[in-house]
Amino acid sequence: MTLSYVLFLAGWQVASLGGLVPGPLTTLERVLSLKPGEVFSNLLRTLYNGVAGFSLSFLVSMTLSVLAQKNYVIRGVIRGLSEMFNSTSALVWSLVLVATLGVLNPLPPILVVSAVTAPHLLSAVTSAINSVDKGLVEAVRSLGASQFDEFMDVLLPSSVPILASASRVGIGTALRISVVAEAFGGGGGVGYMLMRSYNLADVEGVLAWSVILFLTVLAMDKLLAYLEGGARKWQS
Amino acid sequence: MAVLKVLNVHKSYKEKVLDGITLELRRGEALGIVGPNGCGKTTLLRIMAGLEVPDSGEVIREAERVGIVFQDNRLLPWKTLYQNIALGLKYMKLPASEIRERVMRYARELNLSEEELSLYPGKASGGMKKKAAIARSLALEPDVLLLDEPFTGLDVKTIDSLKGFLGEVVKEVSTVIVSHQLEDLLTLTERTYLLTHRPARVAYELNLSGKGLRERVNLVREALLHLIEEVDQDSNPQE
Repeated sequence: MTLSYVLFLAGWQVASLGGLVPGPLTTLERVLSLKPGEVFSNLLRTLYNGVAGFSLSFLVSMTLSVLAQKNYVIRGVIRGLSEMFNSTSALVWSLVLVATLGVLNPLPPILVVSAVTAPHLLSAVTSAINSVDKGLVEAVRSLGASQFDEFMDVLLPSSVPILASASRVGIGTALRISVVAEAFGGGGGVGYMLMRSYNLADVEGVLAWSVILFLTVLAMDKLLAYLEGGARKWQS
Repeated sequence: MAVLKVLNVHKSYKEKVLDGITLELRRGEALGIVGPNGCGKTTLLRIMAGLEVPDSGEVIREAERVGIVFQDNRLLPWKTLYQNIALGLKYMKLPASEIRERVMRYARELNLSEEELSLYPGKASGGMKKKAAIARSLALEPDVLLLDEPFTGLDVKTIDSLKGFLGEVVKEVSTVIVSHQLEDLLTLTERTYLLTHRPARVAYELNLSGKGLRERVNLVREALLHLIEEVDQDSNPQE
């Protein structure tokens, strides 16, 4: 993995020699020259949009999956909606929602993240529910478990590994999508700063904010991988 | 007095599994059910436990609490052996101190150490898992204990130690032990029903109550001869 980064940085450095793009060191200097308060507030906004959108998507997916188990008509409707959402690009959602709700409205990035991540999460939650070992459900029932006990002791823990993997991928995707939606709004965030730098033809600025976004997504992935490991500690 | 009665029970899935089974478990006795692999013993046990409903016939349970030990143990893999044993007690909403006392009591009786209790099932041996599954059911202090093939897949040493333990259990709890090997039950049960191949029906009722080991062996031999004759008659109905 370290070799990949070294090769990437070397390629970037070579490209900068011809004056195509500012080099890695110039970009790093630009990152360090940014006001910490500005970086922090925009990063926080992007994290908030990503996590809030993902959480909304998670809640909706859980609810829809449970409903889908109950009735085949609902299951068909949910599958159709999921296909529709899955076929719509993040750019289309961003433009439609920003145009509908207004440039200064803070909701579009959150809703775009939800709309794009929901089909993937829905599929993960459905497989998690379907993969529950019915024998274990029967075993806890034979011990006198209530429906709540069944959910807490069997359904939830047996879904955790699948949900943890899906969340790890989902939150990384959510952050990247949130940036697209922020680019079209006026509410701040890394995406907004990227677009502002682009409009000012500030290539160094575009690269600096891209590096910040890259490092943030990477850090989140490492953190979630650590939490995912904790959720699977019982597996031999 | 019967604590559990099965009356003319029939059950089919894609094919007929149980064909008019009638039997009873008397209070305080150890009852064996023996039959060939796949004959429907587990289905019968599940019906006795109330986990399945028969197509026809009746199951009368006088017992307040029925404990079942599944052949595959069915321990929750994300809980330690201790937490698995405590599960039913937690559902009974017993105080934490009583839960601990009961779990440790049965763990001690089954020779499960504190270190073993802290293992997840994925890291425990087959013997430890079986002992935990038995402890989990016994901790509920059931009136009737149903054991499905309790010795399958275990090594000889563990089987011997489990037989010793179950020999004490059956003195206190009305117990049904299902097995495909009659020898497993020779020293443990007082009566044993021998089932036929699928669809299962009762072929023979073996009464070993109050008999010494030598007498038990003779009675088992007699039962097996009876079964062989029956199989011969089934294969050659014209004779």
